[in-house]
Amino acid sequence: MRPGVAGLLLACLLAASVTIARAQAPVAFTEPEVRRILHYGPWPQPVLRDPSNRVSGNADAIALGGRLFYDRRLSGDGAMSCAACHLPDRGFTDGRDRAYGRAALDRNTPSVWNVGFARWFGWDGAADSLWRQSMKPILNPIELAADANHVAALLRSDQELSAHYAKAFGAVPDATSADETTLVNTGKAIAAYLETLVSRRTSFDDFRDALANDDRAAAARYPVAAQRGLKIFVGKGNCVFCHFGPTFTNGEFADVGMPYFAAKGGVDAGRHGGIKELLADRFNLLGPYNDDASGAAASKTRHVALQHRNFGEFKVPGLRNVALTAPYMHNGSLATLRDVVLHYSELDEERLHADGVRILRPLHLAPQEVDDLVAFLESLTERSPTAQTGKSHPPQ
Amino acid sequence: MRRLICLIALVSIPAIAAEPCGSTLGGASMRAESEHYSVVFRTVPARVAVGRAFALEAQVCAKGAAPRPTGLRVDAHMPAHRHGMNYRPTVVAEEGGRFRAEGLLFHMPGQWQFIFDLEAPGANERITKDLSLE
Repeated sequence: MRPGVAGLLLACLLAASVTIARAQAPVAFTEPEVRRILHYGPWPQPVLRDPSNRVSGNADAIALGGRLFYDRRLSGDGAMSCAACHLPDRGFTDGRDRAYGRAALDRNTPSVWNVGFARWFGWDGAADSLWRQSMKPILNPIELAADANHVAALLRSDQELSAHYAKAFGAVPDATSADETTLVNTGKAIAAYLETLVSRRTSFDDFRDALANDDRAAAARYPVAAQRGLKIFVGKGNCVFCHFGPTFTNGEFADVGMPYFAAKGGVDAGRHGGIKELLADRFNLLGPYNDDASGAAASKTRHVALQHRNFGEFKVPGLRNVALTAPYMHNGSLATLRDVVLHYSELDEERLHADGVRILRPLHLAPQEVDDLVAFLESLTERSPTAQTGKSHPPQ
Repeated sequence: MRRLICLIALVSIPAIAAEPCGSTLGGASMRAESEHYSVVFRTVPARVAVGRAFALEAQVCAKGAAPRPTGLRVDAHMPAHRHGMNYRPTVVAEEGGRFRAEGLLFHMPGQWQFIFDLEAPGANERITKDLSLE
């Protein structure tokens, strides 16, 4: 064979192989992009015990917490449970822009999927433990509107709840028990249950693992639009700076240009108010109810810094099962994932703090890019019957 | 963005050790230099990860006739983003001229910079060290 013909044949073969490779993995990711993507897994992550909660991971506490989460008797008038707002079949949210208990609240109901992996709790992080956060709606006059006496009375009067409580905490909450301790323990039991709410694997996880294993055939099964969206997410979109790690959140707070105003005409100070509330809270991890004798769990509370820029910052939400939790943002003002993407595409830089984070700039996305980012975000949602219907919840 | 300097503590820093600076730290360490001082430090755990709290063990050594520092301020920030950490570390002075800072947490990937502000009689000196975090 003449060298020229051989070269032409070789070139044709190479072109064919490149075409095949493109058909299998049409989006090319750079090495830095791949490394960023790998940080989003593996999934699921092992659930870590909360050292501040001595019944974290305790089966009886989980059973007790699961029952209490769905038990309307936990509210002052028996009218609502935690699940009134955290509906399992709505991604543990309520579909409303702002939560509604006995009256309208100022913020959107956050999902509790994967909440056990969080560092701070609530949109403003005013709680430093899941058990403290679990107590708040119970006591809030426009949510469950109960008090320590009411909760303790319920746990004393119901034999099944009492039995689980005794197994988890070592004693029945009798008349000699301090009602406040029983309330805190109730928060700890509910927290133990919430820690079990770990979302399942998604098509994204299969793609991520395929990248980790250099399995091109498996990677090619991930929709091309989602791949393009992922490339924007970890690339020019700069989303990765806050939505980082296996739960797609760095666990901290950001001002992303949402309005400061609350529904009632007031101002929502966000993280700035949250830190002040946290530090004044006698149930925080610096207080007597923290079960972690080492002091390590309270380190974040001891070191958190109140800064001017915290004003208007809200928690960076995790994105797993995000397609189930509309509407979005702390005030529920964005109805769809497309609206969220468009918000970042058309970001109002004038609205951000003058000393704000430079990574936030309008993305000016093309329509195709908006579609791709939405496709990627939707791929972070499990499509199992459990996720859609909450079939396994409440726990049996 | 206004960069916040995290005051670790006012601590007395001992005289220059006869041994090489940082020799008491053990394990892999990083070194930062200024005209009159050296800071040798390591993070605990050794690998800093986004969103994971870590501690910092440091030894500060004066060069030549430089006065002993009387205090140490430590900060870390992201110069390109113009923001610092969300946490204010604390420090404990340990034996052998070592210091242990607790409560550091880098909440984003990217280029971070440690800042050590040394306070000494008649002069303060700043030492920085970059760390790229993926």
